[in-house]
Amino acid sequence: MKTRSIKIGFVGAVSALALSTGMAFAGEVVWWTPNFNEARARELVAKFQETHPDITVNLQVTTTDGLPQRVLTALQSGAAPDIIDVQHGWVNGYAQNNLVIPLDDVLQDREDYVPAALDYVTLNDQLWGMPYRIESLAVIYNKGHFAEAGLDPEAPPQTWDELIAAAEALTQSGRSGFAITGGGEVGNTIFRSMPFMWMNGGGIISEDGTQVLVNSPETVAAVEFYTNFYKNGLSPSSTLENDGTANRRLFIAETVSMYQAGQFDVNSIKTENPNIDIGVMTIPHPEGKDTAAVLGGWSFVIPADAKNPDEAKILLGFLAEAENQGYLTDTFPARVSAMDMERFDDPILQVYKQMLPFGRPAPAHPNWVQISQAYFDGIQRILLGDEDVQTAMDGAAAEIEALL
Amino acid sequence: MSDTTLKLKRTGLPVPLIIIGSVVLVAVCLFPFWWMGLSSIKTLRELYTIPPIWWPSMPTLDNYYTVLFESNIPRYFLNSVVISLGSTFLAMMLAIFASYGFARFDFKGKPLLQSFVLVGQLLPTAAIIVPLFVTLRVLGLVNTYWGLILIYMIITLPLSVWMLTSYFRAIPVELEEAAIIDGASRLGVLFRITLPLSVPGLISVLVYAFVTTWNEFIFALVFATDSSVKTLPIGLAEFSTEFNTDWGAVMAASMVMTLPIAILFLSMQRLFVGGMTAGATKG
Amino acid sequence: MAPPPKSKPCSKPFLPVSGCLKRSRSPFLLRPVNVMHRKSTGYLFVLPALLVLGLLIAYPIAYTGLLSVTDNQGNYVGLENFRTILAARATPTAFFNTLWWVAGSIIFQVILGVLTAILLNQNFRGRAIVRSVTLIPWVVPGIVAATTWAWMLHTEFGIINYMLTAPGIIDEPVGWLTNGSTVMPVMIAINVWKMFPFVAIMVLAGLQSIPNDLYEAARIDGASFWEEVWYVMLPQVRPVIIAVTLLLVIWALNHITIIYAITRGGPANRTLITPIQIFRTAFESVQFNQAAALSVMFFAVAITVVFIYIRTTAANAGASK
Repeated sequence: MKTRSIKIGFVGAVSALALSTGMAFAGEVVWWTPNFNEARARELVAKFQETHPDITVNLQVTTTDGLPQRVLTALQSGAAPDIIDVQHGWVNGYAQNNLVIPLDDVLQDREDYVPAALDYVTLNDQLWGMPYRIESLAVIYNKGHFAEAGLDPEAPPQTWDELIAAAEALTQSGRSGFAITGGGEVGNTIFRSMPFMWMNGGGIISEDGTQVLVNSPETVAAVEFYTNFYKNGLSPSSTLENDGTANRRLFIAETVSMYQAGQFDVNSIKTENPNIDIGVMTIPHPEGKDTAAVLGGWSFVIPADAKNPDEAKILLGFLAEAENQGYLTDTFPARVSAMDMERFDDPILQVYKQMLPFGRPAPAHPNWVQISQAYFDGIQRILLGDEDVQTAMDGAAAEIEALL
Repeated sequence: MSDTTLKLKRTGLPVPLIIIGSVVLVAVCLFPFWWMGLSSIKTLRELYTIPPIWWPSMPTLDNYYTVLFESNIPRYFLNSVVISLGSTFLAMMLAIFASYGFARFDFKGKPLLQSFVLVGQLLPTAAIIVPLFVTLRVLGLVNTYWGLILIYMIITLPLSVWMLTSYFRAIPVELEEAAIIDGASRLGVLFRITLPLSVPGLISVLVYAFVTTWNEFIFALVFATDSSVKTLPIGLAEFSTEFNTDWGAVMAASMVMTLPIAILFLSMQRLFVGGMTAGATKG
Repeated sequence: MAPPPKSKPCSKPFLPVSGCLKRSRSPFLLRPVNVMHRKSTGYLFVLPALLVLGLLIAYPIAYTGLLSVTDNQGNYVGLENFRTILAARATPTAFFNTLWWVAGSIIFQVILGVLTAILLNQNFRGRAIVRSVTLIPWVVPGIVAATTWAWMLHTEFGIINYMLTAPGIIDEPVGWLTNGSTVMPVMIAINVWKMFPFVAIMVLAGLQSIPNDLYEAARIDGASFWEEVWYVMLPQVRPVIIAVTLLLVIWALNHITIIYAITRGGPANRTLITPIQIFRTAFESVQFNQAAALSVMFFAVAITVVFIYIRTTAANAGASK
C-alpha cells in the first residue's frame, strides 16, 4: 500500500541521516544550555573532558525565546537530552508530571547551599533539580535625580514610608519617581510585588500551600502599597504595558528615577547611558520588619527519558563543585563558599549580595503558574481601574481557592 | 485588435484617486517597516529615547555587520531557503492535483473531504506539537530538512488546495470540455489549459506557501535543534539573551529576512498579469 | 467580434441594461460531455494530498483526544478535564473575545483587501513596485511586526503618540495598550494590517484572470467604473473571496503570535482569546490534559463552522459551475 511504502522509503532514506543527527551514543552526555552561558559552558566542558576522557559532552545551545515550550515538548515527547538548564520555577511542573528524575544522590555538601535555593526545587522531600545560579532584585536609582530633588543620594529610603516620600519628591518635570510593572510576563510582577506581601506577613498562598492568603489584610495592605504608585501618578502612565525591561529603558531615558531590577540592568544602563550615576538600594521594608525578595535563578535537571543519566550525574557532580559553579553563573552561585570568588567582589554587586539571605522561593504548589496568573489578573484589574484592591484580591482568592 | 476596441478606452479609477490610493497604501504598509529599517541603523543609545528620534545622529552599519558576519544568520538563510523551497514545491505538486479533483469532479463525500483538508489548520498548535514531535522521532526525521518539510505540509497544503480549487473553478469549464471533445486526456487538459490560465493564482499560492514556511517559528524551534537545520526565525530569537535583546541586530536581521521576498515578488510581476484569458473565448 | 461558437453560452455578463443570460446557466448541450467524467478519477486526483495530510494529523488527533480524557498519570477520568476548564474564570471571557476578534478582523481584512486589489488591478506606472510594497506587512515575521507595533504604540516611547502630540493634534498621549477599551481594537487593527495584503494578492490574482471580453461587453453597455466593479469584477472573484474569507476565519481562530507577543492576553484578560488560553494552559501551566480538552471543544466548534460553510457554498456554487 502507498502508506507503507512511503514510511519504508522515509525510514530507509533517512537512516543514514539519523545516525548523524546527534543521537546520543553510550558515554555521550547531551547538555542543553542557553545562549548566554555558551562561552563559559564550553570552557567547563573542555575542563571536564580532561579529567573524564571516557565521557563525551555534546553541548547544544538553546535560545531564551520559546525555551520553556521547547523544553516541555522535548520532555513530554520522550526525546530529551541528558541535562537541561531550566529556571527554578519550572522544576516543579516537571516534577509533578514525572518528567525529571530526583537528584538527591548527586548533591554534595548540602549545608554549603543557600537553603532557599534547595527549597525551590524540592518537592515531597525529594530534590528534583540542582541549583547553580541564584539572584534577586534590588532597587536601582538615579543619584543625579536624588540630588536635584533635594534628597541625599547616599542615604536611599529604607522603609515603605520613606520610599513613598522619596518617590513623591522625585516625580517632577516629566519624571516618575518609582516605576512598577503591570505588564509583560507574570513573573515580572510576582517578583516585584510578592516580596512586599512577605515583608508584611502575608503572601499569595501559605507556605504549605493549603491556605489562600491573597485577600488577607496584610496582603491587601501590601498590594495597595504597590498599586498606589500607579494610582498616585508616581509610576509612568505606561505601567500596564511595562515589564522590567521597559522600566529599564525608561530609566535609561531618564524619565524614571527608581525601579526594581536585577544586576544585569546595571551593565546595560552603563552602556546605553553612561551619564547616569547609578545607585542601588535594598528593597524597602515596612517599619520594624525585614526586607524580602523572591529568589530567582537556574537549576540543572535530568529528564526521565535521558539516554545516559549516570554519566549525566557525573557531569553534574563536576559542575556542582564550588569553583565551577562560581565560574558558570551569570549572577551569583548557589553555594555560599563559591561566593567568595573575586568576580563577586564588585562594589555595585554588594547590595545584591546583601539581598540574597532574604531571598525566598516561590511556593511549591503544582498549580502555582495558574495561581500566580489569577493574582496577576487581579493586579491588572486594579491598575485598569475596574475594581478596588479588596474586590480584586477577593476575586483572585476565589479563583485560587478552586486551584488548591 | 479591432477599431472598436481601440476607441473604448479602459475605464478605470481616475488618476488622482489612483495616486492618493497608492500613496496611502504604500504609507500604511511601509511605515512600520521603515521604522524597523531606521532602527537597524541606530546605535543602542538612540533606540529608546523620549521623545523618539527620527533620524539617527550617528547612523551605523554595525548591526548589519553583526548579522551578516558574526552570527549564524547566513547559514540559517540557506537552511530557510532549502526548507521553504522544498515544502513549497512538494505542496504545489500535491495541491495542484487535489485542487483539480475538487474543482472539476463531483464525487460522493466531496464536501466532507474538502472539510477534511482544512482540518490540519484547525488544530491548535499547542495540541499538535508534541504528537508531531513523537511522529518525527519515530520516523527518525528530527533535525533534518525532510522532517521540517514534511511537517510544514500541515500548514501549506490545506490552504494551497483550498485556494487553488477556487482559482481552477474560475477558469471557464467550456475551454476544458472543448479540449476533451477534441480528444485530450484529463491530465493533458490540466497541464496544457488549466495551469497556464491560472498562473496568477499559482503564483499567489506559491508565495503564500513560501512566506508561511519562511516565517514559521515554533515548529522550527522544536524540531530543528542543530544549526545545520535551524531557520531564520530561530536566528532572530538568538539575538535575545535573558535580560537583553540586541534590537538593532534583530531589526537588521528582519530586513535581511523580508527584503529578498519582496524583491522576488517584484521580479515575478511579469508573470502575475492576466490577459492570458483575453481572447480565449473568442472563436 | 467573432460570433460565439454553438456550444458556448452567452458571453455577456448579466447587466440590467442588456438582461443577458447568466453564464452559470450552461445549456443542456454540454451534458454529454459531463458523462465522460468517471467518478473515480476525482478520487484519484485528490488522493495523494489527502493521504499525506491524513498521515500527519491522524496521530495528533488521536493523541489529543486521548489526552483530553485522561489525567497526567494516564488514568481515565472521563469528562473531568472538560468540567475543570469550563469552570475556569477565563474561559467564557476568552470565548467572547474570540468572537469579537474573528468578526472584527475578517470584516476589515476583506474590505480593505478587496479595495486594495481593485486599486492594484489598475494600469499605472510603478504598479509593480506598489504591489511588491503591499506584500511587505504580510512577509514581515509575525513576532517582529508585533514587537515593532508594540514599540510604536508605547505610551511614552512610541512614535505614534509622538506624531500625535508634537503638532498638538491631541494633548495627552493615548494609552493604546494600557486602556481597557482600546487594547482589543488595536490588536485587531494590527492583525488587519498584517493580513489584508494576503487578501489583496489573492483577490488580485483572481481579478487578473478575468477575460477582457467581459470588460469590453460592459463598456459597450456603457457601464461606469463602479458598475464594472460591482457587476463584472466582484462576481468573477466571488469564489476567491469566499475561499479567502474562510481561511481568514480559520487563521483568526487559531491565532497566537501577535496577541501573545504584545499583551499575552492581558491586561486582565481583555485580549485573551481561546487559542492563547489553550497555549498557556499547555505550556505555562503544564496542564496538557485540560489544554487537550479545550482543544477538542474548540476543534468541534471550528469544524462545524467550516463544514456548514463548505456545504452552503457548494450548494450555491453547484448552480454556477
